[in-house]
Amino acid sequence: MATSRKVTLLSSDGESFEVEQSVAVESITIKDSIEEGSAGNPIPVPKVNSKILAKVIEYCKKHVESAKAEDRVDDEDLVAWDADFVKVDQATLFDLIRAANFLNIKSLLDLTCQTVADMIKGKTPEEKRKTFTIRNDFTPEEEEEVRRENQWAFE
Amino acid sequence: MAFSRLPGDVISRIFSLTTPRDACRVSSVSTAFRSIADSDQVWLQFLPPDHCDGVVLPPISPKKSLYLHLCDHPIPVGGNRNMSLSLDKKSGKKCFMLGARDLTIAWGDDRNYWEWIATPESRFNEVAQLQYVWWFHIIGRIETSMLSSGTNYAAYLVFRFEGHQEGFDWPVESHVCIGSEELDEGRSVTLDPREGEPRAVRERAHGWMEIELGEFRNENGDDGTLVCSLREVVSYKSGLVVEGIELRPQEMH
Repeated sequence: MATSRKVTLLSSDGESFEVEQSVAVESITIKDSIEEGSAGNPIPVPKVNSKILAKVIEYCKKHVESAKAEDRVDDEDLVAWDADFVKVDQATLFDLIRAANFLNIKSLLDLTCQTVADMIKGKTPEEKRKTFTIRNDFTPEEEEEVRRENQWAFE
Repeated sequence: MAFSRLPGDVISRIFSLTTPRDACRVSSVSTAFRSIADSDQVWLQFLPPDHCDGVVLPPISPKKSLYLHLCDHPIPVGGNRNMSLSLDKKSGKKCFMLGARDLTIAWGDDRNYWEWIATPESRFNEVAQLQYVWWFHIIGRIETSMLSSGTNYAAYLVFRFEGHQEGFDWPVESHVCIGSEELDEGRSVTLDPREGEPRAVRERAHGWMEIELGEFRNENGDDGTLVCSLREVVSYKSGLVVEGIELRPQEMH
């Protein structure tokens, strides 16, 4: 068994994380920069703080492990693990989305985006504004127009 | 707040993972959301792929308008135009109708038994008109790969009566199953129940009626061929006009 290579990732707030290269390259962004030889050591990960980077690494580790385990982790177990993984507060969820997007980790981006999509489904616009703290910046006339255009969706 | 500050294409992706109905609702949340929710990037995800499986989408822009058009205006599928596709508005799931010419109708080629007529009330070029028959057996087939995944479907015979109507006050055996009718329990449907008997027939547009033949859940579209059939080979029957068999997504509960 070849000794697996390790790389060090540096979060935006200066914390170092040593991880297996196989885990780090779950991120296409990191994989590309390693292959191009442009990654420093440690590899800086701007925009992603230590709290979020730790979670991202946890996700990648789990997925890499379950893909290569001798006794393959049940797909159902992984789905359940993923469901637990995203049980976080909204702010963390959006930070994870941003990180997954920046680091180009497709499965994590799909998972986190679907989680938000599920929070949107079935809600009225007012409920959505409340859930995500979004300001209604329509004029009353504009709001009426949008409602009318999409009348069938409110029936 | 954090939501609105995500990059636009990430927000698009999130909206496209909801449903067409939710995407329309979310457009009333804020002006920024409206412009993303109405974008082609989102509605492209709700449309069936173009130039795939015999589907050629009309050149309507923007994509949201194309989507809405497909909900109310079935489009022909395949070269011979004997099948149509439309979308269920709220969910975007595919709804197919197999025209009579696409069905296997026993004795369908014998003009003594079945005539093929053109009628303006049908979306298809021809519908099948029964003169008379004892051996009544109609089969429709569709590949489950064409249906929307993760969807419960029901199959309906779309028909009406014309001329001398006889024999349909008796039950007919119907099946909706994979592969072969022989393997399925099926059910009994009566197209023309007598007064006082339960009536499962519903009215449709343009003078047509429909009756449910059975249900099927399409998980991944890899179950092979779905077979929908009706069969009654004992009694004399006449007066039926068949437009086709429709496969419609059912509302999830």
